[in-house]
Amino acid sequence: MAATVRAKGYAHWDGRPVDRRFPWWPITRMGIQLAFRKKRFKLAFAMSFAPAFVFLAGLYISERLEDFQAFFRGSDRLLNITPDYFKIYLTNDSLHFLIVLVLAFAGAGLVADDLKHNSLQLYFARPLRKKDYLLGKMSVVAFFVLIVTALPGLVLLLFKLVFAGSFKFFLDYPWLPLSILGYAALLTVFFAFYILLLSSLSKNSRYVTILVFMTFFFSSILHGILYGIFRLPALALVSIPANLQQTGASLFGQKLPHAFPAVWSFLVLAAACAVSGLVINRKIRSVEVVK
Amino acid sequence: MTLSLGRGAVGLLGPNGAGKSTLLRILLGFLAPDKGEGKVLGHDIRRDQALIRRAVGYMPESDCFVAGMDAVTFTSYFGELSGMPRQEAMKRAHEVLFYVGLGESRYRLLDQYSAGMKQRLKLAQALVHDPKILFLDEPTSTLDPHGRTEVLELIRDISTSKDIQVLISSHILADIESICSSVVILNKGKVAAEGRMEDLRAIRYSLYELRVKGDGGPFRLDLEAMGCRVEETEDRIIKVYMPAEGDRMDIFRAASRTGVQLRYFVKSRTSLEDLFAGAVGVD
Repeated sequence: MAATVRAKGYAHWDGRPVDRRFPWWPITRMGIQLAFRKKRFKLAFAMSFAPAFVFLAGLYISERLEDFQAFFRGSDRLLNITPDYFKIYLTNDSLHFLIVLVLAFAGAGLVADDLKHNSLQLYFARPLRKKDYLLGKMSVVAFFVLIVTALPGLVLLLFKLVFAGSFKFFLDYPWLPLSILGYAALLTVFFAFYILLLSSLSKNSRYVTILVFMTFFFSSILHGILYGIFRLPALALVSIPANLQQTGASLFGQKLPHAFPAVWSFLVLAAACAVSGLVINRKIRSVEVVK
Repeated sequence: MTLSLGRGAVGLLGPNGAGKSTLLRILLGFLAPDKGEGKVLGHDIRRDQALIRRAVGYMPESDCFVAGMDAVTFTSYFGELSGMPRQEAMKRAHEVLFYVGLGESRYRLLDQYSAGMKQRLKLAQALVHDPKILFLDEPTSTLDPHGRTEVLELIRDISTSKDIQVLISSHILADIESICSSVVILNKGKVAAEGRMEDLRAIRYSLYELRVKGDGGPFRLDLEAMGCRVEETEDRIIKVYMPAEGDRMDIFRAASRTGVQLRYFVKSRTSLEDLFAGAVGVD
Protein backbone atom coordinates (compact mmCIF):
# COMPACT_ATOMS: atom_id res chain seq x y z
CA MET A 1 0.00 0.00 0.00
CA ALA A 2 2.86 2.29 0.81
CA ALA A 3 3.78 2.31 -2.86
CA THR A 4 0.20 3.20 -3.74
CA VAL A 5 0.21 6.05 -1.28
CA ARG A 6 3.42 7.44 -2.61
CA ALA A 7 2.40 6.89 -6.23
CA LYS A 8 -0.92 8.70 -5.90
CA GLY A 9 -0.09 11.08 -3.08
CA TYR A 10 -2.51 13.36 -1.30
CA ALA A 11 -3.67 16.44 -3.11
CA HIS A 12 -5.71 19.21 -1.58
CA TRP A 13 -9.15 19.80 -3.05
CA ASP A 14 -9.13 23.11 -4.86
CA GLY A 15 -12.91 23.52 -5.04
CA ARG A 16 -15.21 25.44 -2.73
CA PRO A 17 -17.97 23.89 -0.62
CA VAL A 18 -21.47 24.90 -1.64
CA ASP A 19 -24.31 25.97 0.63
CA ARG A 20 -27.17 23.73 -0.44
CA ARG A 21 -30.69 25.05 -0.23
CA PHE A 22 -31.81 21.54 0.61
CA PRO A 23 -28.93 19.88 2.47
CA TRP A 24 -31.08 16.77 2.95
CA TRP A 25 -31.38 16.09 -0.77
CA PRO A 26 -28.28 13.82 -1.06
CA ILE A 27 -29.75 11.65 1.73
CA THR A 28 -33.03 11.33 -0.15
CA ARG A 29 -31.37 10.58 -3.46
CA MET A 30 -29.16 7.94 -1.87
CA GLY A 31 -32.12 6.36 -0.04
CA ILE A 32 -34.01 6.03 -3.33
CA GLN A 33 -30.96 4.63 -5.13
CA LEU A 34 -30.29 2.08 -2.40
CA ALA A 35 -33.91 0.92 -2.50
CA PHE A 36 -33.67 0.20 -6.23
CA ARG A 37 -30.62 -2.02 -5.60
CA LYS A 38 -32.87 -4.54 -3.85
CA LYS A 39 -34.47 -7.13 -6.13
CA ARG A 40 -37.48 -7.73 -3.87
CA PHE A 41 -38.13 -4.01 -3.74
CA LYS A 42 -38.12 -3.71 -7.52
CA LEU A 43 -40.74 -6.46 -7.75
CA ALA A 44 -42.92 -4.83 -5.07
CA PHE A 45 -42.54 -1.43 -6.71
CA ALA A 46 -43.61 -2.80 -10.10
CA MET A 47 -46.57 -4.56 -8.50
CA SER A 48 -47.70 -1.36 -6.80
CA PHE A 49 -48.80 0.01 -10.18
CA ALA A 50 -51.11 -2.95 -10.85
CA PRO A 51 -54.19 -1.28 -9.30
CA ALA A 52 -53.57 1.80 -11.44
CA PHE A 53 -53.62 -0.31 -14.61
CA VAL A 54 -56.83 -2.04 -13.51
CA PHE A 55 -58.49 1.34 -12.84
CA LEU A 56 -57.14 2.67 -16.13
CA ALA A 57 -58.78 -0.26 -17.91
CA GLY A 58 -61.99 0.60 -16.03
CA LEU A 59 -61.81 4.17 -17.30
CA TYR A 60 -61.37 3.00 -20.87
CA ILE A 61 -64.23 0.56 -20.64
CA SER A 62 -66.50 3.21 -19.10
CA GLU A 63 -65.98 5.44 -22.12
CA ARG A 64 -66.44 2.58 -24.57
CA LEU A 65 -69.28 0.91 -22.72
CA GLU A 66 -71.27 0.16 -25.85
CA ASP A 67 -68.32 -1.92 -27.15
CA PHE A 68 -68.38 -4.03 -24.01
CA GLN A 69 -72.11 -4.40 -23.45
CA ALA A 70 -71.90 -8.15 -23.84
CA PHE A 71 -69.49 -8.38 -20.91
CA PHE A 72 -70.91 -5.74 -18.60
CA ARG A 73 -74.67 -6.06 -18.96
CA GLY A 74 -76.29 -4.06 -16.18
CA SER A 75 -72.99 -2.61 -15.01
CA ASP A 76 -73.72 0.99 -15.95
CA ARG A 77 -73.68 2.05 -12.32
CA LEU A 78 -70.37 0.33 -11.68
CA LEU A 79 -68.64 2.03 -14.53
CA ASN A 80 -70.25 5.42 -14.05
CA ILE A 81 -67.10 7.43 -13.32
CA THR A 82 -67.46 9.88 -10.45
CA PRO A 83 -65.00 11.20 -7.83
CA ASP A 84 -65.88 8.04 -5.90
CA TYR A 85 -64.01 6.05 -8.54
CA PHE A 86 -60.80 7.94 -7.70
CA LYS A 87 -61.49 7.64 -3.99
CA ILE A 88 -61.86 3.89 -4.36
CA TYR A 89 -58.55 3.73 -6.21
CA LEU A 90 -56.69 5.63 -3.48
CA THR A 91 -58.36 4.12 -0.41
CA ASN A 92 -58.76 0.49 -1.42
CA ASP A 93 -57.10 -2.14 0.74
CA SER A 94 -55.00 -3.57 -2.07
CA LEU A 95 -53.31 -0.20 -2.72
CA HIS A 96 -52.68 0.26 1.01
CA PHE A 97 -51.18 -3.22 1.12
CA LEU A 98 -48.90 -2.43 -1.82
CA ILE A 99 -47.81 0.88 -0.27
CA VAL A 100 -46.93 -0.95 2.94
CA LEU A 101 -45.10 -3.60 0.90
CA VAL A 102 -43.07 -1.01 -1.01
CA LEU A 103 -42.23 0.90 2.16
CA ALA A 104 -41.35 -2.26 4.08
CA PHE A 105 -38.58 -2.92 1.56
CA ALA A 106 -37.57 0.69 0.87
CA GLY A 107 -37.99 2.22 4.31
CA ALA A 108 -37.39 -0.39 6.98
CA GLY A 109 -33.63 0.16 6.96
CA LEU A 110 -33.71 3.93 6.61
CA VAL A 111 -32.82 4.57 10.24
CA ALA A 112 -32.39 0.98 11.48
CA ASP A 113 -29.35 0.41 9.23
CA ASP A 114 -27.76 3.66 10.36
CA LEU A 115 -28.24 2.62 13.97
CA LYS A 116 -26.91 -0.86 13.28
CA HIS A 117 -23.79 0.34 11.48
CA ASN A 118 -23.15 3.39 13.73
CA SER A 119 -23.34 5.76 10.79
CA LEU A 120 -25.32 8.49 12.55
CA GLN A 121 -22.03 9.93 13.83
CA LEU A 122 -20.78 10.16 10.25
CA TYR A 123 -23.87 12.15 9.23
CA PHE A 124 -23.67 14.49 12.19
CA ALA A 125 -19.93 15.05 11.72
CA ARG A 126 -21.07 16.88 8.56
CA PRO A 127 -22.71 20.29 8.48
CA LEU A 128 -26.13 18.65 8.83
CA ARG A 129 -28.78 19.29 11.46
CA LYS A 130 -31.00 16.60 12.82
CA LYS A 131 -33.94 18.01 10.90
CA ASP A 132 -31.93 17.73 7.66
CA TYR A 133 -31.24 14.08 8.40
CA LEU A 134 -34.88 13.36 9.22
CA LEU A 135 -36.18 15.33 6.25
CA GLY A 136 -33.81 13.41 3.99
CA LYS A 137 -35.08 10.08 5.28
CA MET A 138 -38.74 11.11 5.28
CA SER A 139 -38.44 12.34 1.72
CA VAL A 140 -37.50 8.82 0.64
CA VAL A 141 -40.82 7.60 2.04
CA ALA A 142 -42.61 10.59 0.52
CA PHE A 143 -41.15 9.85 -2.90
CA PHE A 144 -42.44 6.29 -2.95
CA VAL A 145 -45.87 7.10 -1.49
CA LEU A 146 -46.44 9.94 -3.92
CA ILE A 147 -45.28 7.92 -6.88
CA VAL A 148 -47.83 5.17 -6.23
CA THR A 149 -50.70 7.47 -5.17
CA ALA A 150 -50.59 11.05 -6.47
CA LEU A 151 -48.93 10.25 -9.78
CA PRO A 152 -51.30 7.45 -10.86
CA GLY A 153 -54.26 9.39 -9.42
CA LEU A 154 -53.53 12.42 -11.58
CA VAL A 155 -52.67 10.27 -14.60
CA LEU A 156 -56.01 8.45 -14.24
CA LEU A 157 -57.78 11.81 -14.19
CA LEU A 158 -55.88 12.87 -17.29
CA PHE A 159 -56.78 9.65 -19.09
CA LYS A 160 -60.41 10.10 -18.12
CA LEU A 161 -60.36 13.45 -19.95
CA VAL A 162 -58.48 11.97 -22.91
CA PHE A 163 -60.85 8.99 -23.24
CA ALA A 164 -63.88 11.27 -22.86
CA GLY A 165 -62.48 13.73 -25.37
CA SER A 166 -63.76 16.68 -23.35
CA PHE A 167 -63.12 18.66 -20.17
CA LYS A 168 -66.68 18.20 -18.93
CA PHE A 169 -65.64 15.82 -16.13
CA PHE A 170 -63.01 18.27 -14.93
CA LEU A 171 -65.44 21.18 -15.08
CA ASP A 172 -68.01 19.14 -13.12
CA TYR A 173 -65.46 18.29 -10.40
CA PRO A 174 -62.74 20.97 -10.49
CA TRP A 175 -61.70 20.15 -6.91
CA LEU A 176 -60.85 16.53 -7.76
CA PRO A 177 -57.10 17.09 -8.45
CA LEU A 178 -56.85 18.83 -5.09
CA SER A 179 -58.57 15.90 -3.37
CA ILE A 180 -56.16 13.48 -5.02
CA LEU A 181 -53.16 15.58 -3.99
CA GLY A 182 -54.57 16.21 -0.52
CA TYR A 183 -55.16 12.54 0.22
CA ALA A 184 -51.77 11.60 -1.25
CA ALA A 185 -50.19 14.24 1.00
CA LEU A 186 -52.01 12.83 4.02
CA LEU A 187 -50.78 9.31 3.18
CA THR A 188 -47.27 10.69 2.68
CA VAL A 189 -47.12 12.46 6.03
CA PHE A 190 -48.63 9.53 7.90
CA PHE A 191 -46.42 6.88 6.31
CA ALA A 192 -43.28 9.06 6.67
CA PHE A 193 -43.78 9.22 10.44
CA TYR A 194 -44.97 5.61 10.62
CA ILE A 195 -41.99 4.14 8.78
CA LEU A 196 -39.39 6.34 10.48
CA LEU A 197 -40.83 5.56 13.89
CA LEU A 198 -40.64 1.81 13.37
CA SER A 199 -37.25 2.06 11.67
CA SER A 200 -35.83 3.94 14.64
CA LEU A 201 -37.09 1.35 17.14
CA SER A 202 -34.74 -1.45 16.10
CA LYS A 203 -31.28 -1.93 14.66
CA ASN A 204 -32.51 -4.91 12.66
CA SER A 205 -34.27 -3.92 9.45
CA ARG A 206 -35.87 -7.38 9.16
CA TYR A 207 -37.64 -6.90 12.46
CA VAL A 208 -38.70 -3.48 11.24
CA THR A 209 -40.13 -5.00 8.05
CA ILE A 210 -42.19 -7.41 10.14
CA LEU A 211 -43.25 -4.55 12.45
CA VAL A 212 -44.38 -2.44 9.50
CA PHE A 213 -46.74 -5.19 8.34
CA MET A 214 -47.79 -6.36 11.79
CA THR A 215 -48.71 -2.93 13.13
CA PHE A 216 -50.65 -1.94 10.04
CA PHE A 217 -52.69 -5.12 9.71
CA PHE A 218 -52.90 -6.01 13.39
CA SER A 219 -54.70 -2.71 13.99
CA SER A 220 -57.30 -3.83 11.45
CA ILE A 221 -57.63 -7.26 13.05
CA LEU A 222 -57.97 -5.63 16.47
CA HIS A 223 -60.74 -3.44 15.11
CA GLY A 224 -62.55 -6.51 13.77
CA ILE A 225 -62.30 -8.30 17.12
CA LEU A 226 -63.39 -5.29 19.17
CA TYR A 227 -66.23 -4.50 16.79
CA GLY A 228 -67.39 -8.13 16.98
CA ILE A 229 -67.60 -7.82 20.77
CA PHE A 230 -68.85 -4.27 21.35
CA ARG A 231 -70.51 -3.36 18.02
CA LEU A 232 -69.39 0.26 18.34
CA PRO A 233 -68.55 2.04 15.04
CA ALA A 234 -66.06 4.33 16.81
CA LEU A 235 -63.84 1.31 17.46
CA ALA A 236 -62.68 1.71 13.86
CA LEU A 237 -60.46 4.47 15.25
CA VAL A 238 -57.99 1.78 16.40
CA SER A 239 -57.52 0.62 12.80
CA ILE A 240 -54.98 2.42 10.62
CA PRO A 241 -56.61 1.37 7.30
CA ALA A 242 -60.06 2.35 8.61
CA ASN A 243 -58.84 5.81 9.60
CA LEU A 244 -57.19 6.25 6.21
CA GLN A 245 -60.40 5.23 4.46
CA GLN A 246 -62.48 7.55 6.63
CA THR A 247 -60.23 10.55 5.92
CA GLY A 248 -60.07 9.62 2.23
CA ALA A 249 -63.85 9.55 1.92
CA SER A 250 -64.00 12.92 3.65
CA LEU A 251 -61.43 14.51 1.33
CA PHE A 252 -63.26 13.22 -1.75
CA GLY A 253 -66.64 14.37 -0.39
CA GLN A 254 -68.04 10.82 -0.41
CA LYS A 255 -70.15 8.88 2.06
CA LEU A 256 -68.09 8.00 5.13
CA PRO A 257 -67.51 4.24 5.55
CA HIS A 258 -67.80 4.45 9.36
CA ALA A 259 -70.50 6.09 11.43
CA PHE A 260 -68.46 8.74 13.23
CA PRO A 261 -67.16 12.17 12.17
CA ALA A 262 -64.14 12.11 9.85
CA VAL A 263 -62.43 14.69 12.01
CA TRP A 264 -61.92 12.01 14.65
CA SER A 265 -59.86 10.00 12.18
CA PHE A 266 -57.90 13.10 11.22
CA LEU A 267 -57.15 13.66 14.89
CA VAL A 268 -56.13 10.04 15.47
CA LEU A 269 -53.73 10.16 12.53
CA ALA A 270 -52.36 13.54 13.65
CA ALA A 271 -51.85 12.21 17.18
CA ALA A 272 -50.07 9.14 15.80
CA CYS A 273 -47.75 11.41 13.81
CA ALA A 274 -47.11 13.65 16.83
CA VAL A 275 -46.24 10.70 19.09
CA SER A 276 -44.04 9.24 16.33
CA GLY A 277 -42.27 12.57 15.98
CA LEU A 278 -41.55 12.68 19.70
CA VAL A 279 -40.19 9.14 19.74
CA ILE A 280 -38.07 9.70 16.62
CA ASN A 281 -36.71 12.87 18.17
CA ARG A 282 -35.65 10.95 21.26
CA LYS A 283 -34.20 7.99 19.37
CA ILE A 284 -32.08 10.01 16.97
CA ARG A 285 -29.68 12.25 18.80
CA SER A 286 -27.16 14.45 17.12
CA VAL A 287 -26.26 16.40 20.26
CA GLU A 288 -26.32 15.35 23.87
CA VAL A 289 -25.68 17.50 26.90
CA VAL A 290 -22.74 16.66 29.10
CA LYS A 291 -23.41 17.23 32.76
CA MET B 1 -9.91 21.90 31.62
CA THR B 2 -8.16 24.65 29.75
CA LEU B 3 -6.39 23.53 26.66
CA SER B 4 -4.82 25.05 23.58
CA LEU B 5 -3.80 22.74 20.76
CA GLY B 6 -1.15 23.83 18.30
CA ARG B 7 -0.15 22.73 14.82
CA GLY B 8 1.01 19.33 13.65
CA ALA B 9 -0.06 16.03 15.12
CA VAL B 10 -1.29 16.18 18.68
CA GLY B 11 -1.80 13.02 20.69
CA LEU B 12 -4.65 12.70 23.13
CA LEU B 13 -3.82 10.14 25.78
CA GLY B 14 -5.51 8.90 28.87
CA PRO B 15 -6.84 5.80 30.56
CA ASN B 16 -10.35 4.55 29.83
CA GLY B 17 -12.92 7.10 30.96
CA ALA B 18 -10.41 9.95 30.97
CA GLY B 19 -12.53 11.96 28.54
CA LYS B 20 -10.62 11.63 25.26
CA SER B 21 -13.56 10.71 23.05
CA THR B 22 -15.79 13.11 24.98
CA LEU B 23 -13.39 15.95 24.23
CA LEU B 24 -13.44 15.12 20.51
CA ARG B 25 -17.23 14.96 20.54
CA ILE B 26 -17.51 18.27 22.33
CA LEU B 27 -15.20 19.88 19.79
CA LEU B 28 -17.37 18.47 17.00
CA GLY B 29 -20.58 19.59 18.65
CA PHE B 30 -21.94 16.06 19.26
CA LEU B 31 -22.00 16.85 22.95
CA ALA B 32 -23.01 20.21 24.33
CA PRO B 33 -21.16 21.21 27.50
CA ASP B 34 -23.39 22.88 30.06
CA LYS B 35 -20.60 25.32 30.87
CA GLY B 36 -17.27 26.47 29.51
CA GLU B 37 -16.32 27.55 26.03
CA GLY B 38 -14.14 26.44 23.18
CA LYS B 39 -13.07 27.32 19.69
CA VAL B 40 -11.94 25.23 16.76
CA LEU B 41 -10.09 27.21 14.09
CA GLY B 42 -11.59 30.32 15.64
CA HIS B 43 -15.18 29.01 15.42
CA ASP B 44 -17.22 28.78 18.59
CA ILE B 45 -18.10 25.17 19.44
CA ARG B 46 -21.60 26.15 20.57
CA ARG B 47 -22.65 28.52 17.81
CA ASP B 48 -20.61 27.64 14.72
CA GLN B 49 -21.00 23.88 14.58
CA ALA B 50 -21.71 23.82 10.86
CA LEU B 51 -18.53 25.79 10.13
CA ILE B 52 -16.49 23.53 12.39
CA ARG B 53 -17.87 20.37 10.84
CA ARG B 54 -17.12 21.67 7.37
CA ALA B 55 -13.48 22.20 8.35
CA VAL B 56 -13.03 19.04 10.38
CA GLY B 57 -12.66 15.44 9.25
CA TYR B 58 -13.79 12.93 11.87
CA MET B 59 -12.78 9.30 12.01
CA PRO B 60 -14.80 7.61 14.76
CA GLU B 61 -13.54 4.74 16.85
CA SER B 62 -16.34 2.30 16.14
CA ASP B 63 -16.98 0.58 12.83
CA CYS B 64 -19.40 2.64 10.81
CA PHE B 65 -20.60 2.42 7.24
CA VAL B 66 -23.77 2.46 5.18
CA ALA B 67 -25.01 -0.97 4.16
CA GLY B 68 -25.40 -1.71 0.48
CA MET B 69 -22.83 0.83 -0.71
CA ASP B 70 -19.44 0.46 -2.32
CA ALA B 71 -16.50 2.53 -1.14
CA VAL B 72 -16.67 5.10 -3.93
CA THR B 73 -20.37 5.76 -3.38
CA PHE B 74 -19.88 5.90 0.38
CA THR B 75 -16.96 8.30 0.27
CA SER B 76 -18.47 10.60 -2.35
CA TYR B 77 -21.80 10.56 -0.47
CA PHE B 78 -20.18 11.93 2.67
CA GLY B 79 -18.18 14.38 0.59
CA GLU B 80 -21.43 15.65 -0.83
CA LEU B 81 -22.95 15.91 2.63
CA SER B 82 -19.91 17.97 3.63
CA GLY B 83 -20.86 20.50 0.97
CA MET B 84 -18.94 19.28 -2.07
CA PRO B 85 -20.63 19.43 -5.48
CA ARG B 86 -21.67 15.94 -6.58
CA GLN B 87 -19.26 15.54 -9.49
CA GLU B 88 -16.31 16.82 -7.52
CA ALA B 89 -17.17 14.62 -4.55
CA MET B 90 -17.11 11.59 -6.84
CA LYS B 91 -13.77 12.55 -8.39
CA ARG B 92 -12.29 13.27 -5.00
CA ALA B 93 -13.59 9.96 -3.58
CA HIS B 94 -11.50 8.07 -6.13
CA GLU B 95 -8.42 10.10 -5.20
CA VAL B 96 -8.65 9.61 -1.44
CA LEU B 97 -9.48 5.92 -1.80
CA PHE B 98 -6.29 5.47 -3.80
CA TYR B 99 -4.48 7.52 -1.19
CA VAL B 100 -5.56 5.27 1.70
CA GLY B 101 -4.82 2.13 -0.31
CA LEU B 102 -8.35 1.07 -1.24
CA GLY B 103 -8.04 1.94 -4.91
CA GLU B 104 -8.29 -1.64 -6.11
CA SER B 105 -11.28 -2.50 -3.96
CA ARG B 106 -13.22 0.72 -4.25
CA TYR B 107 -16.15 -0.88 -6.07
CA ARG B 108 -16.58 -3.72 -3.58
CA LEU B 109 -19.56 -3.64 -1.24
CA LEU B 110 -18.62 -2.39 2.20
CA ASP B 111 -20.34 -5.37 3.83
CA GLN B 112 -17.48 -7.47 2.43
CA TYR B 113 -14.68 -5.27 3.78
CA SER B 114 -12.26 -6.54 6.43
CA ALA B 115 -11.72 -4.63 9.69
CA GLY B 116 -8.54 -3.08 8.34
CA MET B 117 -10.23 -1.96 5.14
CA LYS B 118 -13.08 -0.40 7.10
CA GLN B 119 -10.53 1.50 9.16
CA ARG B 120 -8.95 2.95 6.01
CA LEU B 121 -12.38 3.70 4.62
CA LYS B 122 -13.16 5.74 7.73
CA LEU B 123 -9.98 7.68 7.12
CA ALA B 124 -10.99 8.22 3.48
CA GLN B 125 -14.41 9.63 4.40
CA ALA B 126 -12.73 11.92 6.92
CA LEU B 127 -10.35 13.21 4.25
CA VAL B 128 -12.70 13.47 1.29
CA HIS B 129 -13.67 17.13 1.81
CA ASP B 130 -10.04 18.11 2.44
CA PRO B 131 -10.43 19.16 6.08
CA LYS B 132 -8.14 21.57 7.87
CA ILE B 133 -8.17 19.39 10.98
CA LEU B 134 -8.53 15.65 11.36
CA PHE B 135 -9.97 14.15 14.54
CA LEU B 136 -8.91 10.53 14.71
CA ASP B 137 -10.43 8.42 17.45
CA GLU B 138 -8.37 5.27 18.02
CA PRO B 139 -7.31 5.05 14.35
CA THR B 140 -5.29 1.86 14.72
CA SER B 141 -7.25 0.00 17.36
CA THR B 142 -8.54 -2.86 15.18
CA LEU B 143 -5.55 -3.23 12.88
CA ASP B 144 -2.91 -5.93 12.65
CA PRO B 145 0.72 -4.77 13.02
CA HIS B 146 1.22 -4.40 9.27
CA GLY B 147 -2.00 -2.45 8.79
CA ARG B 148 -1.16 -0.32 11.80
CA THR B 149 2.18 0.64 10.33
CA GLU B 150 0.54 1.60 7.05
CA VAL B 151 -2.15 3.73 8.65
CA LEU B 152 0.42 5.42 10.87
CA GLU B 153 2.48 6.19 7.78
CA LEU B 154 -0.59 7.81 6.20
CA ILE B 155 -1.29 9.88 9.30
CA ARG B 156 2.35 10.96 9.49
CA ASP B 157 2.25 11.95 5.81
CA ILE B 158 -0.95 13.94 6.31
CA SER B 159 0.27 15.75 9.41
CA THR B 160 3.79 16.53 8.24
CA SER B 161 3.53 17.25 4.52
CA LYS B 162 -0.07 18.14 3.83
CA ASP B 163 -0.68 21.04 6.17
CA ILE B 164 -3.51 19.27 7.94
CA GLN B 165 -3.61 19.38 11.71
CA VAL B 166 -4.27 16.03 13.31
CA LEU B 167 -5.68 15.32 16.75
CA ILE B 168 -5.33 11.64 17.60
CA SER B 169 -6.99 9.97 20.51
CA SER B 170 -5.37 6.66 21.25
CA HIS B 171 -4.53 4.29 24.05
CA ILE B 172 -1.61 2.85 22.06
CA LEU B 173 1.27 4.89 23.40
CA ALA B 174 3.72 3.74 20.75
CA ASP B 175 1.46 5.13 18.01
CA ILE B 176 1.32 8.55 19.63
CA GLU B 177 5.03 8.50 20.31
CA SER B 178 5.86 7.69 16.71
CA ILE B 179 3.74 10.35 14.98
CA CYS B 180 2.89 13.14 17.39
CA SER B 181 4.97 16.19 18.10
CA SER B 182 2.96 17.12 21.15
CA VAL B 183 0.68 15.36 23.54
CA VAL B 184 -2.18 16.01 25.93
CA ILE B 185 -2.64 13.53 28.72
CA LEU B 186 -6.10 13.46 30.24
CA ASN B 187 -7.07 11.86 33.50
CA LYS B 188 -10.56 11.89 35.02
CA GLY B 189 -11.67 14.72 32.76
CA LYS B 190 -8.72 16.94 33.60
CA VAL B 191 -5.47 17.74 31.82
CA ALA B 192 -2.73 15.78 33.61
CA ALA B 193 0.07 16.89 31.29
CA GLU B 194 0.30 18.91 28.09
CA GLY B 195 2.99 20.16 25.77
CA ARG B 196 5.66 19.21 23.27
CA MET B 197 6.87 15.70 23.79
CA GLU B 198 10.49 16.80 24.23
CA ASP B 199 9.59 19.48 26.76
CA LEU B 200 7.44 17.14 28.78
CA ARG B 201 10.17 14.56 28.88
CA ALA B 202 12.70 17.12 30.02
CA ILE B 203 10.95 19.18 32.61
CA ARG B 204 8.75 16.93 34.61
CA TYR B 205 11.16 14.45 36.09
CA SER B 206 14.32 12.43 35.53
CA LEU B 207 14.17 8.70 35.11
CA TYR B 208 16.86 6.46 36.58
CA GLU B 209 17.05 2.72 36.19
CA LEU B 210 18.90 0.72 38.84
CA ARG B 211 19.45 -2.73 40.23
CA VAL B 212 20.16 -3.32 43.90
CA LYS B 213 21.43 -6.11 46.12
CA GLY B 214 19.84 -6.42 49.53
CA ASP B 215 16.40 -5.69 50.95
CA GLY B 216 14.88 -3.20 48.49
CA GLY B 217 11.78 -2.51 50.60
CA PRO B 218 13.17 0.18 52.95
CA PHE B 219 15.13 1.65 50.03
CA ARG B 220 11.95 2.10 47.99
CA LEU B 221 10.15 3.65 50.94
CA ASP B 222 13.02 6.06 51.45
CA LEU B 223 12.92 7.10 47.79
CA GLU B 224 9.15 7.56 47.88
CA ALA B 225 9.53 9.70 51.00
CA MET B 226 11.74 11.98 48.90
CA GLY B 227 8.91 12.43 46.38
CA CYS B 228 10.14 9.88 43.82
CA ARG B 229 7.86 7.47 42.08
CA VAL B 230 9.32 3.96 42.12
CA GLU B 231 8.43 0.98 39.95
CA GLU B 232 9.97 -2.44 39.59
CA THR B 233 9.96 -4.26 36.25
CA GLU B 234 9.64 -7.99 35.73
CA ASP B 235 13.42 -8.32 35.29
CA ARG B 236 13.92 -6.65 38.69
CA ILE B 237 15.05 -3.28 37.37
CA ILE B 238 13.91 -0.46 39.61
CA LYS B 239 12.70 2.66 37.78
CA VAL B 240 12.94 5.83 39.80
CA TYR B 241 11.05 8.90 38.54
CA MET B 242 12.75 11.76 40.31
CA PRO B 243 11.15 15.22 40.43
CA ALA B 244 12.93 17.85 38.35
CA GLU B 245 14.25 19.58 41.48
CA GLY B 246 15.68 16.32 42.91
CA ASP B 247 19.36 15.40 43.08
CA ARG B 248 20.49 12.01 41.83
CA MET B 249 22.98 11.78 44.67
CA ASP B 250 19.95 11.41 46.95
CA ILE B 251 19.47 7.95 45.46
CA PHE B 252 22.99 6.94 46.54
CA ARG B 253 22.42 8.46 49.97
CA ALA B 254 19.17 6.50 50.36
CA ALA B 255 20.97 3.31 49.37
CA SER B 256 23.63 3.99 51.96
CA ARG B 257 21.05 4.73 54.64
CA THR B 258 19.05 1.56 54.00
CA GLY B 259 22.08 -0.68 53.52
CA VAL B 260 21.60 -1.83 49.94
CA GLN B 261 24.25 -2.05 47.26
CA LEU B 262 23.67 -0.33 43.95
CA ARG B 263 24.79 -2.78 41.25
CA TYR B 264 23.50 -0.90 38.23
CA PHE B 265 22.64 2.77 37.77
CA VAL B 266 21.79 4.57 34.55
CA LYS B 267 19.92 7.74 33.65
CA SER B 268 17.27 6.70 31.16
CA ARG B 269 15.42 8.59 28.45
CA THR B 270 11.78 8.85 29.43
CA SER B 271 9.41 7.15 27.04
CA LEU B 272 5.85 8.27 26.53
CA GLU B 273 4.84 5.31 28.62
CA ASP B 274 6.89 6.69 31.51
CA LEU B 275 5.46 10.12 30.93
CA PHE B 276 1.96 8.70 30.89
CA ALA B 277 2.54 6.67 34.03
CA GLY B 278 4.04 9.66 35.78
CA ALA B 279 1.21 11.99 34.80
CA VAL B 280 -1.71 9.67 35.33
CA GLY B 281 -0.28 7.79 38.25
CA VAL B 282 -0.80 4.30 36.88
CA ASP B 283 1.60 1.56 35.83
